[in-house]
Amino acid sequence: MQKSVAIVGSGPSGCYLAQALLKAKPDLRLDLIDRLPVPYGLVRYGVAADHQGTKAIIRQFERLFERQGAGFIGNLDIGADISLDELRAAYDAVILAAGLATDRRLGIPGEDLAGIAGAGIVTRALNEHPDADPLPALGRHVVVMGNGNVAIDIVRLIAKSADELAGTDLGPVPTAWLTAGHIETIDVVGRSAASHAKFDPVMVKELHHLAHATIRIEGAGTAEEPAGQKKLDALAAIDGIAHGPRRLTFRFGLTPTAFEGKDGRVTAVRFRDAAGAETVLPCDTFISAIGFDTCANLSRGTLLEHARDIDAGVLDDGLYATGWFRRGPRGTIPENRAEAQALAARVIADLDAATGRPGLPATGRVDYAGWKRIDAAELAAATADRCRRKIADRAAMLALALNNEG
Amino acid sequence: MNITVLYGTETGNAEMLAEDVTAHLEGDHAVTCTNLSDFAPSDFAPEQFYLVICSTYGDGELPSSAKPFAEAMETAQPDLAGIHFAIFGLGDTEYDETHNFGSQIIADMLKGRGAAQVGDRVIHDASGSDMADDLAMEWADSVVELARTRVGEAA
Repeated sequence: MQKSVAIVGSGPSGCYLAQALLKAKPDLRLDLIDRLPVPYGLVRYGVAADHQGTKAIIRQFERLFERQGAGFIGNLDIGADISLDELRAAYDAVILAAGLATDRRLGIPGEDLAGIAGAGIVTRALNEHPDADPLPALGRHVVVMGNGNVAIDIVRLIAKSADELAGTDLGPVPTAWLTAGHIETIDVVGRSAASHAKFDPVMVKELHHLAHATIRIEGAGTAEEPAGQKKLDALAAIDGIAHGPRRLTFRFGLTPTAFEGKDGRVTAVRFRDAAGAETVLPCDTFISAIGFDTCANLSRGTLLEHARDIDAGVLDDGLYATGWFRRGPRGTIPENRAEAQALAARVIADLDAATGRPGLPATGRVDYAGWKRIDAAELAAATADRCRRKIADRAAMLALALNNEG
Repeated sequence: MNITVLYGTETGNAEMLAEDVTAHLEGDHAVTCTNLSDFAPSDFAPEQFYLVICSTYGDGELPSSAKPFAEAMETAQPDLAGIHFAIFGLGDTEYDETHNFGSQIIADMLKGRGAAQVGDRVIHDASGSDMADDLAMEWADSVVELARTRVGEAA
């Protein structure tokens, strides 16, 4: 009897797991399920529009569907359209790889003022996610809180001018938002010391290319071990760059304490350092990139709390978790690959005792051919200086995807 | 010809390419495809032609699957005289001048122990317009042709 596996979430952790499962057991019935009509999750909606080389990993994942027999079931929201229990009844094994999408909050006074947004909100809008919220105008002074790669991605994009966005898949609406053209200062603020910042040094070094930025590093301090020194070296490599009028300043060791506002809009943000000294930065837009938590319709907290072996990714009989959904918002795309290979071995061993459940019918959902129609339409609509013109509207996606279905 | 395709990968892109090159060559040659993480310096044999495909990760570093091999080379210091290899690198020019260092590190390491490089090192840029497969097949065909008379002879 053919064994069946459903992976909830078709981002990098789900796709890497599917790869590992199908490599070890090519006769599996394997479905990648996504709540969106389109696959690839963070690769499409999280990786920055000007990092098309990173997005090229999609070529690997396409083979899952085109050669390795994986199925795509898009536009199916587990926990909303059908329950997790119903899904588990239909498959021998279910793996939750749904990632994390909600911005972690700072928890300080004034956080609900207009002009304050989480990195997830900004990133979804920049990548034209169908559920994206509209963005507030950037204004003259932008503060980005956080020292991870997500923060650096956002800083790089907002520091770029229109001509530096050629070749990306950035859409007209986010392009207009980014290039409205009044930004004078961008402050990148980390709570920890520079040597403990979470960014990859290569991400900071890349800022060297910014054509219109003047970059200053303040209070980077010293490092005690080589990994920290590499971060300081990367910062030192961009310190003093004077390519133009946008002043980009990195600051460290500052904890935000409160926002100030006028007429319901943020105007400044207050920080305190370890010695208690206060810094106030003017701020029209504040973007917090301090991590993600929770997940739309799956009770992640409860599932993890009752997990049988969370380190191995085992939640219950025939129920597993991987990627950010399991371990939290840490680690780069390829780190999911090693995790997926370990979990795949466990899932396959457990499948020996499975009875061979039939899986879900794809009726009324978006299959891989449906996604390829969306993909083809997006590529065909690309303008001269863009590699793709994303369709942001869910109804328009569905109209294309379900077009040829019987 | 006896060909061993060796790959060093972080994201899986180099592994996929290595599998494609293997499939491309195996009609005419005896080809095996091995992850560098499963290959020891003592495994090198002069009757094999080695096609190495290696990416770069982070700030000009070796990808994770090539690191154990590099450490073993450092420890073993093998004599690779008579070994022939060709090398193909993957990188991303978004990340500056270090983007193709991974394949350079492996090439220098092999040459430093006496192995002979066949053909030029070819680099694929993930941010460029070429498909990796197109470049790699052309590279594989050309280095196999160049190696035809050399592999198995004393270097």
